[in-house]
Amino acid sequence: MTASCPECDASITLAEGTVEGEIITCPDCAAELEVVSVNPPELALAPEVGEDWGE
Amino acid sequence: MSKPDFDPVEFLAGALRIPSISGDERAVAEYFVAQMQALGFAAHVDAAGNAVGVLGSGPEIVLLGHIDTVPGDIPVRVEDGKLYGRGAVDAKGPFATFVAAAARLAGAPLGARLVLVGAVEEEAASSKGAHYVVDQYAPIACIIGEPSGWDKLTLGYKGRLLAEGRWEQPMAHTAGREIAVAERAVAFWNAVAAYCADHNTGNTRLFDQLIPSIRSIQNGSDGLTDWAELTVGLRLPPGTAPETLAATLSEFAHGGQLVFRGGCEAYQGDKNNLLVRAMLRGVRATGGTPGFLIKTGTADMNVVGPAWRCPILAYGPGESTLDHTPNEHVEVEEYLRAITALETALRALALP
Repeated sequence: MTASCPECDASITLAEGTVEGEIITCPDCAAELEVVSVNPPELALAPEVGEDWGE
Repeated sequence: MSKPDFDPVEFLAGALRIPSISGDERAVAEYFVAQMQALGFAAHVDAAGNAVGVLGSGPEIVLLGHIDTVPGDIPVRVEDGKLYGRGAVDAKGPFATFVAAAARLAGAPLGARLVLVGAVEEEAASSKGAHYVVDQYAPIACIIGEPSGWDKLTLGYKGRLLAEGRWEQPMAHTAGREIAVAERAVAFWNAVAAYCADHNTGNTRLFDQLIPSIRSIQNGSDGLTDWAELTVGLRLPPGTAPETLAATLSEFAHGGQLVFRGGCEAYQGDKNNLLVRAMLRGVRATGGTPGFLIKTGTADMNVVGPAWRCPILAYGPGESTLDHTPNEHVEVEEYLRAITALETALRALALP
């Protein structure tokens, strides 16, 4: 099961047991990626961490 | 499935109409309990005064909101698609989101025990409701009810410490050589500010900075003794323990008496676990592009996170910039989207 890195277009093999919502790292460009679908396999850039105030 | 006549907007509006300043939450707790019972939960007010609703059996998933508010009477109404009222975002809105989303799973064959807690006194330094539940549950996952925006997940909060100082000295003529007592309080503040500035060197994120603020300052005299009082609030980054910081600050007091309270450490959950995955799926399935937040404030995550050590995040509709403001409101559309996103996540977590 492979998918393309949306950052560098590298072909990434997803490990067996990979689940939707899992965050992985591209072995080529080190971008953090979110598994948005496993069937068919699809990756997106993982959400960035922003700062906020409150509570 | 929730009851077909259940209107989540009217449900939240009903909660907003009941004043519930910290320490006076009984009426709104009973409202939430009655509503949850009608929706199929086993619900009660616990010994701390928290509104508790339970669905299913199995490993516990705790959804911990709070039902107290800061003062401020905001007329409850819907205008231009916005529901106004004190607590609309902080945080009756997020807790109502929990109830409305979980209610859609009532009657389903759940493989988990969903425990919804509307806690008391989150807005007070005591965090009474959260401290009570720490020993009551041992969840495999926890969602804190605070506004993150319907498509964002809050992963962490900074810590906090309040330092209350008092300086006294015999009254002296202002033309004399004696340093004024108020200047001793100011010297303490200057030392604290300098210590924090030194700590913050190289730390560009607010989350990583030690940030002090003056909460109050006053001085006076009874004719024999001059006095000055200063309260400093500090927002603590990860790795700064309140006890250690208090010991350091005590060295700056120079004869003043310091009392520390409200201390809690920063806490941040990780972003690659079953809970975060379920919420990411929920947001995407509802048409959103998810984001993560870390916050410079403090919430009940700081209380239960270090104790439970389970996957944890904070979630709820609304903008936290509206917390405690006279303009507090939640967009109705956003509130409804949050309910759907959370329902999707709970189905992923709780259905076998």
